Amino acid sequence: MAASRPSPAAPFANRELNGEQLLDELAELRNAQVSQKQLDDLARALKDLEGRRVSEVTTRLKALASNRYAGQPALGSLLVRWSTKLKSELDVPLLLGHLERLALVSAMLSATRRGADRFPRGGR
Amino acid sequence: MAHDVSDEVQAVLDRWTAKGRRVFDELMEDAGSELQRELVQRAVLAGHSPGEVHAFGDELRALSDDECYLACTLDDDAPEGYTVAQLLRAEADPLFAFELKGGTLSPNEADDQLSAPLPVQRREVVEAPVDRALAADPVRRAREQRHGFHAESSTPRQPVPARPALGAEGPPPPSGALRTPLAGGGRLLEDLLAEATRTLGVSWREVELDVPGGPTMEAGLQQVAQALQRGIPVAGVIGNAQGKPLRPLVVLQVSTAGANRAFQLYEPFSQALVWANERDLVTKGELPFDDKSLRRLLRVVLPTGRGL
Repeated sequence: MAASRPSPAAPFANRELNGEQLLDELAELRNAQVSQKQLDDLARALKDLEGRRVSEVTTRLKALASNRYAGQPALGSLLVRWSTKLKSELDVPLLLGHLERLALVSAMLSATRRGADRFPRGGR
Repeated sequence: MAHDVSDEVQAVLDRWTAKGRRVFDELMEDAGSELQRELVQRAVLAGHSPGEVHAFGDELRALSDDECYLACTLDDDAPEGYTVAQLLRAEADPLFAFELKGGTLSPNEADDQLSAPLPVQRREVVEAPVDRALAADPVRRAREQRHGFHAESSTPRQPVPARPALGAEGPPPPSGALRTPLAGGGRLLEDLLAEATRTLGVSWREVELDVPGGPTMEAGLQQVAQALQRGIPVAGVIGNAQGKPLRPLVVLQVSTAGANRAFQLYEPFSQALVWANERDLVTKGELPFDDKSLRRLLRVVLPTGRGL
């Protein structure tokens, strides 16, 4: 029997990872007053983790949560939560991509809010 | 979301229209730090119009606290040429200081048309608000870490050229500078996205689909799929007919199963999240939103560069 193709852990194979789940996380961060700047900082910090092993990424994410984002529990707990779901090297780029998309989508939604008055009835 | 503001600021906001106050709330919500919120409030207090405050808040957002402080205070550049009046006014009016130091703003005039005229005149010389404790004042806190100005001069100083934008190849697009009327081919989202993602190093190009000189729907969707596969969501505009855009949207994901491809669309104002089959988009079939006026994808804003 042929060896089964390696696949990402279930949370990273979820079709809604960068859809509904991402929007839920953004709502949570927004409610916790996490700023765009903090999300941008996180996206930049994650660039250093590309190509790293699971154990190192897990450690670094937890360190970010307890140091840089200690004053922002919502963001810190999100990082810790995700870091515990990493199972294989396949998961790392998927997680980094997800966290980076948080920053991008947040900025894009902010831009659409600002552009609302360019649409009829303020886009409503 | 309401923000705590001083009675003085609230008194000014009470004279703004609901739309102006909403812009203010958004600026406070999106501000990157307490210092930025304080500077925005001081600009309000100094009597600037909602459009000016909006443009000012947009400019501040891309700056760090240190850069904000430098951009909005004259301290570090004294004692060479500012007048006493300028120094005093800049103390309480960061927007005035920002422009005096060479910063440029392009207020969206539409913001001001929506607001009632302010009955008070802009103050030429005002003192900084004194009803806040020093420890709670982010501007003063920032100043404590720097040298204060200690000289006066009567000759006007030449404006200092504005700093280049962080991570930008050229000068940043002034907020509101590309705001165009909806009718016609004006770009609706490109400049706003550029501003919002400047620090992430992504630039954008807005294209209208299926119009003479523009890409076909198929070609546009192919580029959207490529961007999504590189991890970059794509913005778009939907409406009920070509030339009649109604709302923005964000294309979050693409999913391929065999020969079929589907895009996940998020419409932020109704918060509707749907999957749309590529074939439906190409054949101009109805989009699966509850609001049936949102029938077609009219434009997409594609990423053109990435520097993260």
